[in-house]
Amino acid sequence: MQFSDDPRDIGWVRTNVPCQNACPAGTNVPAYIRSIAEGLHGQAYEINRESNVLPSVLGRICSRPCESACRHGWPGNGEPVGICSLKRSAADLKDSGHRITERLFAPTGKRIAVVGAGPAGIAAAHDLSLLGHDVVIFEKEEKPGGMLRYGIPEFRLPRPLLDIELHNALRLGVQLRTGTPVGVGKGAVRVSTLLADFDAVLLGTGCMAPSRLDLRGIPPGQDPSRVSQDVEYGLHFLMDLHRGQNKRVGRRVAVVGAGFTALDCARVARRLGGMEVTIHLRTSEEYIPVTHEELFETKREGIRIKGLRTPVGLQLDDNGRLLGVEFVQNRLGGWRDNGRRLAVPIEGSEFIETCDTLIIAIGQVTVNDFLDMRVELDRWGNVRIAENGMTSVSGLFAAGDFVHGASTAIQAIGHARKIADKIDTWLVGRKRRQVVQMEPVAAPLRDHAFDFIQRQAMPTTPLPERQLTREVECGLTRDLASEEAKRCYLCDLRYQINVDRCIYCRACIEVAPRNCIKLISDVEIQKDGSYGQLLETKEWSRVAAIWIDNNECIRCGACFKVCPVACISITRNKLITVDV
Amino acid sequence: MTAHHASPSVPPHRYVIIGNGVAGNQAAEGLRSRDPEGLVTIITNNRLLFYNRYLLPLLFRSHKDWRELQSHSADYYQKHRIRVIRDVRVTAVDAGRRQVMLAHKEPITYDTLLVATGGRSYLPEELADSRHLLNSFGTYEQAMAVKKALPDRGTVVMLGGDMIGLDLARTLLSIDCRVVLVTHETTFWPHQVTPEVRMEFLNVLRDMGMDVIDGDAAGGVTAIEPGTAGLPARRVVFRQGGDVYGDVVMPFYGLVPSVEFMMGSGTDIERGILVGTNLRTNDNHIFAAGDVCQIWSEQEHAYRFYYGYQNVRAMGAVAASNMTGGNEHFAITQNGSLRRDGHGHIDSSFWAYD
Repeated sequence: MQFSDDPRDIGWVRTNVPCQNACPAGTNVPAYIRSIAEGLHGQAYEINRESNVLPSVLGRICSRPCESACRHGWPGNGEPVGICSLKRSAADLKDSGHRITERLFAPTGKRIAVVGAGPAGIAAAHDLSLLGHDVVIFEKEEKPGGMLRYGIPEFRLPRPLLDIELHNALRLGVQLRTGTPVGVGKGAVRVSTLLADFDAVLLGTGCMAPSRLDLRGIPPGQDPSRVSQDVEYGLHFLMDLHRGQNKRVGRRVAVVGAGFTALDCARVARRLGGMEVTIHLRTSEEYIPVTHEELFETKREGIRIKGLRTPVGLQLDDNGRLLGVEFVQNRLGGWRDNGRRLAVPIEGSEFIETCDTLIIAIGQVTVNDFLDMRVELDRWGNVRIAENGMTSVSGLFAAGDFVHGASTAIQAIGHARKIADKIDTWLVGRKRRQVVQMEPVAAPLRDHAFDFIQRQAMPTTPLPERQLTREVECGLTRDLASEEAKRCYLCDLRYQINVDRCIYCRACIEVAPRNCIKLISDVEIQKDGSYGQLLETKEWSRVAAIWIDNNECIRCGACFKVCPVACISITRNKLITVDV
Repeated sequence: MTAHHASPSVPPHRYVIIGNGVAGNQAAEGLRSRDPEGLVTIITNNRLLFYNRYLLPLLFRSHKDWRELQSHSADYYQKHRIRVIRDVRVTAVDAGRRQVMLAHKEPITYDTLLVATGGRSYLPEELADSRHLLNSFGTYEQAMAVKKALPDRGTVVMLGGDMIGLDLARTLLSIDCRVVLVTHETTFWPHQVTPEVRMEFLNVLRDMGMDVIDGDAAGGVTAIEPGTAGLPARRVVFRQGGDVYGDVVMPFYGLVPSVEFMMGSGTDIERGILVGTNLRTNDNHIFAAGDVCQIWSEQEHAYRFYYGYQNVRAMGAVAASNMTGGNEHFAITQNGSLRRDGHGHIDSSFWAYD
């Protein structure tokens, strides 16, 4: 085993393990998938837990940026590996008496208050408690979990599972004070009080207000639900439902929005008796930020999706009851800064869609009126933080959606872990850095034939049995998980040719299934010291090395097996954090 | 009008057409005549060469060898130097590299691409679990499978009842099969009919001998199950209770464009590939024609599908012209309403071909 802090090695991992690089929490995906392939689900769960303290939860509701980046999904390589389903299988299939491992630091005597028990608050509290600090979480709702509990329907995330993982995250002594609002109102704890009582305060309050939709006839900023009882914001709809309120919808339900919340609202509305539930998109299905699986299940439940339209007004009767929504037809425009597609309204193309209920789920924004002190905000109302994670107020930190605006659970968790690390540095001066752990691997771990295994479909609950609290996805069986795990290219395996021993016989090039072994004259070095572009040459006189392009390599091992002088080595590369 | 002509120093232009239907073949013919030196390649997931799908119902009247349905023989493609890659699946289009990726990992490079993959039978997602118990009717092989599964004077349950299905239905009735139609909002698709016209033509179907079940009143179809011993092979179960048995159950809920492989290519897609009336996509090197594309209608301020043999063939011709430097625009050539023929039976302009 070797360790390296050479920027070329660190850069190699960042470039060549796209799933890990795409994961905001930096989950070591190939390592846990390899464990699943070996039948070691408990080990896979622990690898997940090193970077994400809620694997069972995220294995169900993650937005899966890793799968969008997966090399198996690149053009010509087929479909991405079902990484999220495998994460869930690690949690589902681990032994019932599985032992959780935690790396505890000695107590520091420092006290930290965390505001909000959502994914960011929970992840930060867990990490801070491991680092030896005494942590107290303040949560205004009756139960912890934030949007995980109050924003996501139970048919996607069963609450007993959420409770178990939250408990495991906080069992190292984190104090959880639910039903304790932080703010300026009566009975609320003030942020200034927390700052006085604790060594540091972390705000992880997320985005708990709906983005407003301006509609013709409704004064700007006014909540349309005040105008008609048949109009509601999706966030309120879901939160009320999960607080235990009875929610009702009409026969024809229109949902406006394009994210997971919009889909969740539509699926809940269908379960509440909506007969014709339609999701209306500004752009089209291809450009909405949800997974194909969620989209498919949504349609399967009889929900329609209609694209290229923007709501512009309401059609109400004299009693304020909803008759329909007025839309304007769109065409696709360019791209927005956030990578989403622009929709351009077409003048004079207004039309009416009749409906009895309108649910608006076009996004969420932060709420900061609970702060009793001046804290610097950006133009969207999100709190600004410095490089060390601190806001403009000394000792006051912030993490997750409260900093970045509405994002995903995994983004909130990833960011909160980084901020927890920075709080630790600020409080006790500890610093850490990343190095690459390189472990020799004796032989290839996969066959080229694995490339032709199709992505395994997630088994689901039959439609007639789908209810509000019955989980739709059933999880992969042991066999399905094993088969899916084989599909992973194991991008953390680095194939290298020792040019001092290579006899340039070209045997490896002959057996390569793709253009993955190259004759090069040089390798560019990037500004950060990592490897850049390979400069290929076909002139033997200019060949400086024969090089495995790990971007093209599918880790089939054909070159390793054919090499007559055994000059090809394989190492497993893992980014780890060490104390400075 | 300008067309590409290769000179000795310029390599021939590579035209790749995905899809071997009416639009694709019309375009191939046009490309060959406008650019005699160009390399024209058709890629299709079908094992057979281009044949007339409008003739498929006739398989139930008399045995036809698939070659009798063929529109062009192999010699035609050889003579016109049109390369046809059959029985392959396109998995992706890499617009940056201008490559079509096939399932067996072979890349096909193009200079100009025409997507003419048409549509496939739409199956509502709620019936996805029953797919293996349903018989589609889009290809010769599927039609033969229905013929094999259907006993003499057997019963076919048609779900939806678009015009493709109703075309088959009138053939089945003529050979004394029983046809049970379970109506859906897609009944008579692609015709858009008023409630009055819908009622009128459902009565026409009844008069023709069809059993018509009001799908809405039954709460919609919730599942297809294997029939039990002594009963027909399939059972259709309705949400509000009740069922109907058939030897074959066929979904006819209209078509859905076959565009999955274009996802991620950067080409604008709503339900189909979005094009202007010149059939250009937002990528200058990619065109689309036929049932796969939605064409911008300035009049309606919306992207529209245009179905029917004549429309699709006209799109193939326009695409060929514009792929070789022309500037033509698609104009609708076929539209129409439901009508009755001389026997009082249902008739549709969408059944017309030449």
